[in-house]
Amino acid sequence: MNPADVAQSALPLTSSDLSLFGLFWQAHWIVKGVMLGLLVASVWVWAIVIDKFFLFTRSNRAMNRFEQAFWSGQSLEELYRSLSSKPTHSMAALFVAAMREWKRSFEGQSRSFAGLQMRIEKVMDVTIAREIERLERRLLVLATVGSAGPFIGLFGTVWGIMTSFQSIAASKNTSLAVVAPGIAEALFATAIGLVAAIPATIFYNKFVSDVNKQAQRLEGFADEFSAILSRQIDERAP
Amino acid sequence: MKSGLTISAVGHALFFAWGIISFSVTPLKTEPTESVPVDIISATDFSAMTAGMKTAPKSENQKPLVEKIAPKNEVKDPTPKVAEKKPEIDASAEAPPPPSIPEPKPKPKVAEAKPPEPKAEKLEKKPDPIAEAIKQEKPDDKPKPEKDEAAQKQAQEVPTPQKRPPRPEAKPEPKFDASKVAALLDKRAPQRQAATGDVLNNKPALGTATGTAAALSQSELDALRAQIQQCWNPPAGAADAKDLIVVVKLELNQDGTLTGQPSLANRSSHPFFQVAAESALRAIRRCQPYKLPIAKYETWRSIEVGFDPKELFRG
Repeated sequence: MNPADVAQSALPLTSSDLSLFGLFWQAHWIVKGVMLGLLVASVWVWAIVIDKFFLFTRSNRAMNRFEQAFWSGQSLEELYRSLSSKPTHSMAALFVAAMREWKRSFEGQSRSFAGLQMRIEKVMDVTIAREIERLERRLLVLATVGSAGPFIGLFGTVWGIMTSFQSIAASKNTSLAVVAPGIAEALFATAIGLVAAIPATIFYNKFVSDVNKQAQRLEGFADEFSAILSRQIDERAP
Repeated sequence: MKSGLTISAVGHALFFAWGIISFSVTPLKTEPTESVPVDIISATDFSAMTAGMKTAPKSENQKPLVEKIAPKNEVKDPTPKVAEKKPEIDASAEAPPPPSIPEPKPKPKVAEAKPPEPKAEKLEKKPDPIAEAIKQEKPDDKPKPEKDEAAQKQAQEVPTPQKRPPRPEAKPEPKFDASKVAALLDKRAPQRQAATGDVLNNKPALGTATGTAAALSQSELDALRAQIQQCWNPPAGAADAKDLIVVVKLELNQDGTLTGQPSLANRSSHPFFQVAAESALRAIRRCQPYKLPIAKYETWRSIEVGFDPKELFRG
């Protein structure tokens, strides 16, 4: 192979486009698939993050407002009436569920106090579980992307480097100018993987702790509310 | 969820748009390095390299750097030509006694005839001690004028000693001598071995510091070997004598005598090796001084000589 042939074979490789789009476009189709998948995952992760962020701030603010109203000495009946139609946050849903059970027990003919306490606690437990499930929904996606994203990106990189080495072997020229574009394009896949995975991991940890906090808050409220109701039951019991 | 998805998608789109615009590859700037010229030379070329400096320019005809003209060894020709002796005898017959030389039978004509007839002088040299005496006289002539000058100066000083009694301080007064500037500027160690040769050449050429342009020819090496072999008694009756090769490293003075103790350059487990080595060292000590061309002193200043019993018997 004379030098002129080497130069000619190296020419299309060395004159490669090194912009972001160029890096993507020259990649092998498997690497392209990996990149696209990671891009979609990144978009989805950020959508979840934004959604959860708004959800948590909203529910935190609503809980604060509700607790203020609850402990302000306002009649629980009135509070129930104003919230029963559309409980907007988990604490309201908890309150409404407990009150509904309470009212049902009193409005019915058979005034059964025997199992009321137990029934209310059951209802509240179920409601807490359902609310936490609602808060936790889609957080698993973040966990998955956070842990698997780098591996998927690495897979794309390894594949890209593999193919670029194959093409180096075919061109029989090992100058860095021939090697570099293929490796740069392969590393782009890992870069995208990390871009998707890093925020996913960070926000997953943050949201998990947020969910725990809200769950504790709900448990606390449920205990307090059940104490209040228990006192009422004891007062009204014959 | 929809709002989050749209915000996320728009954010990514914006990010990549920014990336496509600003993600430009700036090529690494590499400073152009000065290339170092490299010559590939063979081992023969290297050994024949002129003594010179690494920074000196490469000259076409490389002469070894010579700081001192080596004293010529007078070759004692064992077979003087009879035919050329004749005019020399004539010259000696005509010689009148010179007054300057305190010899009972001086031959000034011979001394005078020396410049036009160097050959005759050489040939005549052996039996005649006069020429040597003249020669000895000659180097003595040189310091004389200096002495005279000093004496004259002293004489000038003598008339006025009383005027300036505290004169001793004038002694260390440095006299500027333009001819010694080069010597004063010379930062090299004064004890260094001056490079000697046939012709003075103070212009260094490109080469190695210890390079030797002139290598000992094979015949000269053979001559050295022959000189040593005369004195060598190889250990007789040694079994496996072919393994009994002794290599001795010796360092020589310019007059062919040994500088220090010759040292063994190889080792062997042969039972007779010690005996053979001793005999070789003895031979080397016994045969000095060695007669080697002084002009190539650099090449034989340090030399290794191999003693191979096989060669001795090979004839």
